[in-house]
Amino acid sequence: MISLVRYLAADVLRGQRYLAPLLVFLGVLGMLFASDAGQPLEAYSGSAALLYPIAAWMAVVVATSEDVVRREITVVSAGGWSRVLTAAALVAVLFAFAMALLAAVWPVVTNPHPYTAGQFFVGLGAHTVCALLGVGVGLMFARPVFDSIGRTVLAVFGVVVLTYPLGRATPLGWVLDALGHNRSSLSVLWAGVVGVALVSAAVVVGARRA
Amino acid sequence: MLRDLTLEVSGLVVLTGANGTGKSTLLKIAAGVLKPSTGRVVRPASVGYVPERFPSDVKMSASSYLAHMGRVRGAAANDVLERLGFVGSLTAPMSELSKGNAQKVALAQAFLAADVLVLDEPWTGLDPAAATELVSLLEDRTALVSDHEGHLASATRVDLAGGHVTIELSRVVGLDALEALEGVRSVLSRGSSARVVVAPDRSDQVLAEALRLGCSVRSVR
Repeated sequence: MISLVRYLAADVLRGQRYLAPLLVFLGVLGMLFASDAGQPLEAYSGSAALLYPIAAWMAVVVATSEDVVRREITVVSAGGWSRVLTAAALVAVLFAFAMALLAAVWPVVTNPHPYTAGQFFVGLGAHTVCALLGVGVGLMFARPVFDSIGRTVLAVFGVVVLTYPLGRATPLGWVLDALGHNRSSLSVLWAGVVGVALVSAAVVVGARRA
Repeated sequence: MLRDLTLEVSGLVVLTGANGTGKSTLLKIAAGVLKPSTGRVVRPASVGYVPERFPSDVKMSASSYLAHMGRVRGAAANDVLERLGFVGSLTAPMSELSKGNAQKVALAQAFLAADVLVLDEPWTGLDPAAATELVSLLEDRTALVSDHEGHLASATRVDLAGGHVTIELSRVVGLDALEALEGVRSVLSRGSSARVVVAPDRSDQVLAEALRLGCSVRSVR
């Protein structure tokens, strides 16, 4: 599995399609924290909300990095769709976690309000949860579940856009609500459970659909 | 759709048949890319697969790709590239390779497999010397190969269509009913059109059923 993860990660990095979501992420992150972003946890809410669609976008990039034919070869070499889709999910989660870490560290350096270690780890956890939810949404609608990139983009965009107005009815809303009220909450943990379940479900659905 | 097919691969087995008779589909099922709608496939742990067309826009270099594939399989590097006469840069992106050299890379990754090779038109793009060398590489291997050009004269041959009648249909309705008819060997549907390959002795019945269902018959050959 490690060698498969290394191969898929190397392929994503070589393909450079990851640059678009990464640069958008860095650019908006820079704007969010260009001035006083507020109290520590409150300041994290903007970047956590941003990470959700960016992680979904990055997951689609990871899932579709290999073209259809090369993915077939990889599936045969690795011994089945489940292994390849699990490895792709791990790569997407690794990319998402790296971005979550960056988003958690950024305001610690730039925000004038001092951060405690506890606030930092709550922020890191919240970002990781939002990233997991994004990865789950991205993988759920990417190849091999949807064969067409157009359908994938429309479905992911639709779900992401619908998530925000639903507010606290969604796991993302639980996280953003907790951060927005400057408090940590068990609901963040539950949202993480939903995120892990979503990523796992995307792998299972993909393996069945393939 | 392929029906009533039992195939045991031992030594070299060559699949033949006209376009659309399901050779590539069968090879994908054999390799584990596709699942059969019914029936089962028993395959060994290590299968090497070469698709009909290796992609031409791969940014990874050949050496990096083969090293990764070797690690994924837990297999040592082989000398297939050298034997096939690969010329070009192993460190440049594969998108810069010629079609023939890219095919050699595809073959080299497949030969990392220890047990069975599944090769779909593996001679595509190879020069004559490489084509001959590929024949010798396949000696003593267990492989399922589609081969239009007769490179493997001594191999066991399986003709997917055999003697057959091809019926081209438009305004297709009741495709499921057609697929279920006795004598239907394969059905390839594209939108509202379909190509149905039928055993010669059942073509009249299939044709009659297609017309009864309301399909338009474009050609029978």
